[in-house]
Amino acid sequence: MTIKRRDFLSTVAAGSAIVTLPGFLSGCGVQTATAIASATPENPFMEWFGVDQAVAARVMSELTSRGADTADLYFQHTRSNHLTLEDGIVSKANSGIEQGVGLRVVIGDQTGYAFTEDLTLASMLAAARTASAIASGSRVVTPQSFNPLESGDLYTTSVPWADVGVDQKLPVMKFIERTAKSRDLAIEKVAVYWADADERVMIATLDGKLVTDHRPMARATVVVTAKKGDETQTGYANIAAREEFSWFSEDRLTTMIDEAVDRTMIQFEAIRPPAGEMPVILASGASGILLHEAIGHGMEADFNRKGTSIYSDMIGKKVAEPFVTVVDQADIPRERGALNYDDEGNKAGRTVMVENGILKSYLHDQISAAQYGIAPTGSGRRESYQYSPMPRMSCTFMEDGPHTKDEIIAAVDHGIICETYTNGQVQIGAGDYTFYVKNGWLVEGGKVTAPIKDVNIIGNGPESLKRITMVANDARLDTGGWTCGKNGQSVPVSQGIPTVLVSNMTVGGENVS
Amino acid sequence: MSADLTTQALKAVELAKAAGADEAAASINQSRDVTFEYRDGALEKVKDTTSQGLGIQVYAAGRYSSHQTTDLNPERLTSFVSEAVAITRALEPDEFRQVTPEELFANRPDVDLDLVDASVADISREQRLAWCEALDAVATDHEKVISATAGVYDGSSQSASVSSNGFSGTRQSTYCWYGSEITLRDQGDKRAEDSFYVGGQHIETLPEASTVASTAMQRVLSRLNAEKGPTVKAAMVVDSRVAGSLIGRLLGPANARRVQQGQSYWAELVGEKAFSDKLTIIDDPLIKRGFSSRHYDNEGISAKVIPIVEGGVVKNLYVDTYYGRKAGMAPTTGSSSNRRLATGDKSLAELLSDVGDGVYVTSWLGGNADNTTGDFSLGIRGHMIENGEIGRPVGEMNVTGNLRDLFSRLEMVGNDVYPYSSTLSPSLVFAGVDFSGV
Repeated sequence: MTIKRRDFLSTVAAGSAIVTLPGFLSGCGVQTATAIASATPENPFMEWFGVDQAVAARVMSELTSRGADTADLYFQHTRSNHLTLEDGIVSKANSGIEQGVGLRVVIGDQTGYAFTEDLTLASMLAAARTASAIASGSRVVTPQSFNPLESGDLYTTSVPWADVGVDQKLPVMKFIERTAKSRDLAIEKVAVYWADADERVMIATLDGKLVTDHRPMARATVVVTAKKGDETQTGYANIAAREEFSWFSEDRLTTMIDEAVDRTMIQFEAIRPPAGEMPVILASGASGILLHEAIGHGMEADFNRKGTSIYSDMIGKKVAEPFVTVVDQADIPRERGALNYDDEGNKAGRTVMVENGILKSYLHDQISAAQYGIAPTGSGRRESYQYSPMPRMSCTFMEDGPHTKDEIIAAVDHGIICETYTNGQVQIGAGDYTFYVKNGWLVEGGKVTAPIKDVNIIGNGPESLKRITMVANDARLDTGGWTCGKNGQSVPVSQGIPTVLVSNMTVGGENVS
Repeated sequence: MSADLTTQALKAVELAKAAGADEAAASINQSRDVTFEYRDGALEKVKDTTSQGLGIQVYAAGRYSSHQTTDLNPERLTSFVSEAVAITRALEPDEFRQVTPEELFANRPDVDLDLVDASVADISREQRLAWCEALDAVATDHEKVISATAGVYDGSSQSASVSSNGFSGTRQSTYCWYGSEITLRDQGDKRAEDSFYVGGQHIETLPEASTVASTAMQRVLSRLNAEKGPTVKAAMVVDSRVAGSLIGRLLGPANARRVQQGQSYWAELVGEKAFSDKLTIIDDPLIKRGFSSRHYDNEGISAKVIPIVEGGVVKNLYVDTYYGRKAGMAPTTGSSSNRRLATGDKSLAELLSDVGDGVYVTSWLGGNADNTTGDFSLGIRGHMIENGEIGRPVGEMNVTGNLRDLFSRLEMVGNDVYPYSSTLSPSLVFAGVDFSGV
């Protein structure tokens, strides 16, 4: 309800970055009914924001009046909707509109930034003058007009979320509640949280590009609370994607519901594992959190151009076994982390970070790419018009390896399997990272034995990469609604992995003697 | 300016009523925020913004919804509010959704909280640069420095809130923070990094920038050559600077929403001696210059001092009007303000000396807790406590247990309250904690 306050100091430690599953989406968006042919003079996005070529050119000229290497105008309009079902009824809705333009001027690694929610020429010019103050040089040549690039088609939808009424979502939420409750007599409460959003982005750049993108996002979450005797347990599951309403099929929802119920009920039998170092098997899918924390953040080039990442001097070096290949890829259709263009207007695509065990490429935005003398990797992202972009991940995963899941389990004499997660964090310079395991299993004598719960796991990025001794052939992306936080900015991401064995990690546990 | 905001908020409430709402409440916010970041001898980032937004809560035909927008164009605002009312009508009725009753916003305190420093608006570019340079000078004056970023963050915010049943209030505050984040070359490819920032509503209360940077430097120097510590059951001393985060986890489910939803280990604890008698936590919204001080909460409930835990006995939970009605609990406030912990009479050094051997935690890394059961597991960094003194730096360790059990083993609290937080906690000493490491 209140405007976002400056809370970075209390929440994020130095040089650290966090991935979490918050209760709600932090914003995102959708596509209008027709695919936009953006190469028209009367760009529908320009009409949407009430801006024409001349106004954009005038603001760009003011923004770069004291010099610039690069500069951009980032127009954004996001309409989001949330619904809450608790105690059998949907009695709370929330909707939000976030609209504004961010103005950025960059000289070398220096950035001037301002934004305004008031899209009048006078307000935009005032913000442009404020942002331009970082520079002290002379006026640069600016475009008279901006050339629209072709729209991407990674998440085109036929029905925008704006056209899906509460009356359509209500029965789906009721279905989720009813189905979950029917699964076990011990289930006392079921809560369902719905989130969808339509986001429109238009980026005008100093080199004359006009990039537009419609970004849909939706997520359904179910929370299950069950009671046996004096003991209560809660579990949840969610699914999220850049999708439209019809994606939430009964089958897909039922899979989510069964996962939430299973995760909840197993906790009545689950124990805390013993504490200390042991082999850790990461189940396929959500365990991609390992890659996000152990290597992904450390490969973001803002840290590396400053020399503050543990990976700063490792490009070209062997960091893992030859069967380990780790990729960040934005052009995977409809994934939560997917992007047609990044938030600097560069085409987003595939970056191989580790290829056959060799460290290959960082994730670059324009500032770091210029410093390294290479093309940007399309990894410049921002939470909204209120923030300047920085290198971020999109969909991060490991490719298939030569082993099987069964071989991996059979290879462990005494260790654990990690299956579901709530959050993770990394210390960029030291390389220490953690993730919190909500559900998992003990492995004893090559066999899966008792269920476990609620343990934090901690390791060191480069050391853990070296200790990936087996990689199975069952890679998949997780469909959960992951959100990554860095320097106070949240962006949606995806992650995935095949079943892998890390030969040694430190497992939080109890019953220490 | 506040009068102007109040007028705008009233207008939004009128729009909602005109569109068919039975009751409505609205808030308008405005803020200005300036960021200066300075790295390795040069200005790296300047961000200077003004922002605005409207939030509105709608009650119609026994139904409820809330909405917010940054688009205050009068024409579009009118359609936004009528759409908000239409969305509300599409929901299911809920007898517990009611506008905050008048008696809860009666007797609002008017004590001066002193949250505004008029000189913040006049901070010059030269002043911010001077702070940056003073911070940077200390941080870069070391052979192992790879990179150091100095930051200055200042600004102001104001808001006005009104409701259709007579609530009206305004808030205003300023802030100024600065500090440094430093990365040093460590063993192999490792970098040691840490930071220290100070802040407040008033510039005059801040320590010298060079002192702040020196603290950041001492913190990161103490991290050099850190190694994984042992798997051990030992005493844990939590530094006051990071105790607030642990208190936040403890209190996470201490509210009517979690209790009513069956997701709180606090459900049966009111009136019980649930924790060590060393634990006292008071929610105090009326602290002069407190980081979360206020005259009313986000529902308009008049601020008052609320004991949460006294001598280990649970006195109150955080109860908002909706979940309070649903759970049959009288409302206190649904959102925390400042949290004051009882202090002891010993310094950190005396606590460490009394403990003798154990682990001194100076920061957390990830981890989580289950609100329903209180089970937790957290990553930590810190130092071994050896012979009553701060020993070798350790990291890559976890601490694991149950929050209720942990706080029943709170053995000592210090006198060293960390001031730059809305949780005013001293250092905390716990007995018999499970650490995992080597």
